[in-house]
Amino acid sequence: MLPADCSRRLVAELQGALDACAQRQLQLEQSLRVCRRLLQAWEPTGTWAWEPPPEPETNEEDPLPACIPSPQDLKELEFLTQALEKAVRVRRRITKAGERNKAPSLKSGSFVTSPGTTASTPPQPPGQAGGHASGTRPTKGLRQTTVPAKGRSERWLPSGQDRTRVGIGARAPRPGAGLRNQHMAPSAAPQAPEAFTLKEKGHLLRLPAAFRKAASQNLRLWVQLSSMQTSDSMDAAAAKTQFLQNMQTASGGSQPRFSAAEVEAEARRLRKACSLLRLRVRKELSAAPVDWMQEYRCLLTLEGLQAMVGQCLQRLQELRAAVAEQPPLPCPVGRPPKASLSCGGGAEPTWSPQLLVYSSTQELQTLAALKLRVAVLDQQIHLEKVLMAELLPLVSAAQPEGPSWLTLCRAVHSLLCEGGARVLTILRDEPAD
Amino acid sequence: MRRRRVDPAAGARAGTLPEAIAALSRSLPSGPSPEIFRRAKFDRPDATSALWQLLFRVLSPLPAGSALASIALDVQARLVKSALCSQGYPRLALAQLPEDGSQGSRELLLALSWLLARGPVPEQMLARTRVPLGDEMTVCQCEALASLGPPAPHVETEGPVDVRHVQWLMGKLRFRWRQLVSSQQEQCALLSKIHLYTHGCHSDQSLGHLSVTEAEMLRDPEGGQQVSGAGAAQNLDLAYPKGLHFCTPGMGPRTFWNDLWLVCEQPGLLPGDWAAPLDPGGASACSLLFPLRVLLRTLEQENRRLEAVLAWRRTELVFWRWMDTVLGTCAPEAPAAASQPTFLPWVPECGDGELELVVRELQTLEEELREAAERRRVAWEAKARGCGRGPEWSATRRASRETVEKELGALQRCWEQDSGPAQAHGPHRLVRREDGAAGDRDLRAAELIRTLRSQEACLEAMLRQLQGQCRQELARLAGAVPGLIWIPPPGR
Repeated sequence: MLPADCSRRLVAELQGALDACAQRQLQLEQSLRVCRRLLQAWEPTGTWAWEPPPEPETNEEDPLPACIPSPQDLKELEFLTQALEKAVRVRRRITKAGERNKAPSLKSGSFVTSPGTTASTPPQPPGQAGGHASGTRPTKGLRQTTVPAKGRSERWLPSGQDRTRVGIGARAPRPGAGLRNQHMAPSAAPQAPEAFTLKEKGHLLRLPAAFRKAASQNLRLWVQLSSMQTSDSMDAAAAKTQFLQNMQTASGGSQPRFSAAEVEAEARRLRKACSLLRLRVRKELSAAPVDWMQEYRCLLTLEGLQAMVGQCLQRLQELRAAVAEQPPLPCPVGRPPKASLSCGGGAEPTWSPQLLVYSSTQELQTLAALKLRVAVLDQQIHLEKVLMAELLPLVSAAQPEGPSWLTLCRAVHSLLCEGGARVLTILRDEPAD
Repeated sequence: MRRRRVDPAAGARAGTLPEAIAALSRSLPSGPSPEIFRRAKFDRPDATSALWQLLFRVLSPLPAGSALASIALDVQARLVKSALCSQGYPRLALAQLPEDGSQGSRELLLALSWLLARGPVPEQMLARTRVPLGDEMTVCQCEALASLGPPAPHVETEGPVDVRHVQWLMGKLRFRWRQLVSSQQEQCALLSKIHLYTHGCHSDQSLGHLSVTEAEMLRDPEGGQQVSGAGAAQNLDLAYPKGLHFCTPGMGPRTFWNDLWLVCEQPGLLPGDWAAPLDPGGASACSLLFPLRVLLRTLEQENRRLEAVLAWRRTELVFWRWMDTVLGTCAPEAPAAASQPTFLPWVPECGDGELELVVRELQTLEEELREAAERRRVAWEAKARGCGRGPEWSATRRASRETVEKELGALQRCWEQDSGPAQAHGPHRLVRREDGAAGDRDLRAAELIRTLRSQEACLEAMLRQLQGQCRQELARLAGAVPGLIWIPPPGR
């Protein structure tokens, strides 16, 4: 059994690492759910945002086209027609009785902003334009389900691949709302192949204009902010410095040589220095110089490294002295040591959003995997240091007798030398005498 | 009833003080009205609590949720004092202010200005709550895989544990690492597919395809189909609040949570379900799968605040002149004689302990180096005596010296400076392009991969070295015990 305080520290450390991983896993899983849902057929319980016309029109029941459709609209209407025709066929096939009126249930919650009248008058023959959608060409059975086509934007996402003819039904769309092709869905089972999938029709999606406008303005403002940052006015900067100085002189607080934040930053730097130095020393010590010049260089490097280590130690001592000389300051507890080799710290932030371009799935996966690997290695190294600090003294202090010491040794070896992956075997070989 | 004050020294920039203050208050999240600022100059008590709350918002590391606001005012005040102190705030009067919000608004105004002068606070706060429209990935590794939220209330292991429990925990951790790897691979594959399928439909040509956020918004504009608990920002490695990227004036999250626990002394003091909304997975501030209208509204709010920040930057000179006068109205403080009042238990070993570890490491290193260097110096001197002298001899020696100096200088720069401007902090929006073409300000995945590989190699070397050290140490300890045969596990 490990001593109590040692146990507490070790368990706390490991538990912290476990929690961090669990949090990250949770985020990943949520993200995965969203992505998977996006890649499946889109459930027709929402409305899809298409390019709404500039002004939101509220008159949903207007059967006449609000404007002359553009060629793009015509093209998309043709898609709609195709889809509807297929729906007709499938519906004929599947629905034995057209009376299975799924229209109301499908409308529940989906046409939240549509006036109930449009949606809930199944047998009403729609106006002439939209009438095609629900009227003559497709069978009557489709009527109740294609009525919802009224009141939708003429531009919509074709959900089916087949031909359905639709008239020039430019309906007044709701702001941000699109046409739903729910008439597709009820014809077939909800998991109809006609349902919209990103794979087939993803490139036809369009963002709503209001969103586009807001997003581009957002981008422009961030860029403006970023350029203003870099060319900060001299006067303002001088005024700020002046103010800070005035604050300092007018204040009674003895400016500590290092604020706690600076101590942390300096400590972080020195930890990083330590790791880098240690690596370099190992490299030099293990190198086998071939000729005298290499040997000389190796020697010089070692001496130089020695000097640097000395300097770092000196800085550390200064830091510790500075920390110690201050009375129990009301300062927050320090952060746990995480000397990540990778991060440089405090680089000047850029405000304008930047892009990270990748060219294939493979590349993205490699990138993400490497990032994770570096983070995991960081964590592993930190744990290794903590375990070393806690466990090695125990082994050396313990009496090498009895099986418990052997268990401890085995466990410590496994944790420290194999990362917990493998365990060694100990054979007792009593000298026979 | 604002005074019109045009500072003659402002020169061509005829910004007025009310404009500047108004811009400032618009640019801060739920910033106090300009009237508060004016009252604070005159040290009116009614301005105090608003300023405490504002300072708390600025200094706390997390995006504000309603839960943070429900923390009691005196708790907020204590945390503010603690955070300011840790940053080296010079004025003593702040530490002595009562925490009930009854007085001290002028001091708080000074504190706010101090923070504003030291760093780009409004921008940082905006960046913290920014609406990420794209799928983002962060480039730097600060605090990756660090635990964010409040430390889960574990059953405190009071008693000693068996070392096998530690082994078990380690195994669990390794399993979670593997799980993370596979989940992440899947997510990347799905993300890539989504990008591929929606190629060609984004209005912004440089992007070219939709992000998951945008696609989700299109799929479900009403937001009626939220997966329970869904709301994660599409950030591939949202391991920490965005604010941390930009080196906020506030505390790190672990510090913050430690302080909060300490200050409240018992978790019961905190409002009951406050932890839940702060869970990063469901943090409302990070939740992106809004219905369209909410997303639009948030975007527009952000745009308004951006405009306010720009206006603030244009007019801030007047504000600083004014703040000088405010400072002038305070009596200069006498230097502190006695120790300052302590109001947070400071656990000294924590801060000192880290430094202790590093000191020990460096000392061992120094020992080792001293031995090795001496040995080699002696050997080399002996050898060098045998070689001839000559001009080219000293020339080569000088050349070697210079090379070594240069190398070591580069090594030192590695930790002294921040890693250069190439390593931008902050999230980047992922964009898929078949040809991989990128503008000069954009990052390419291939380059990042190279950098990461070298980091990986470096870290692996370090880990192996540490493990080797342990092996030697254990062998030494075990070797002292006769009668045992140690059979190492089969190699990889």
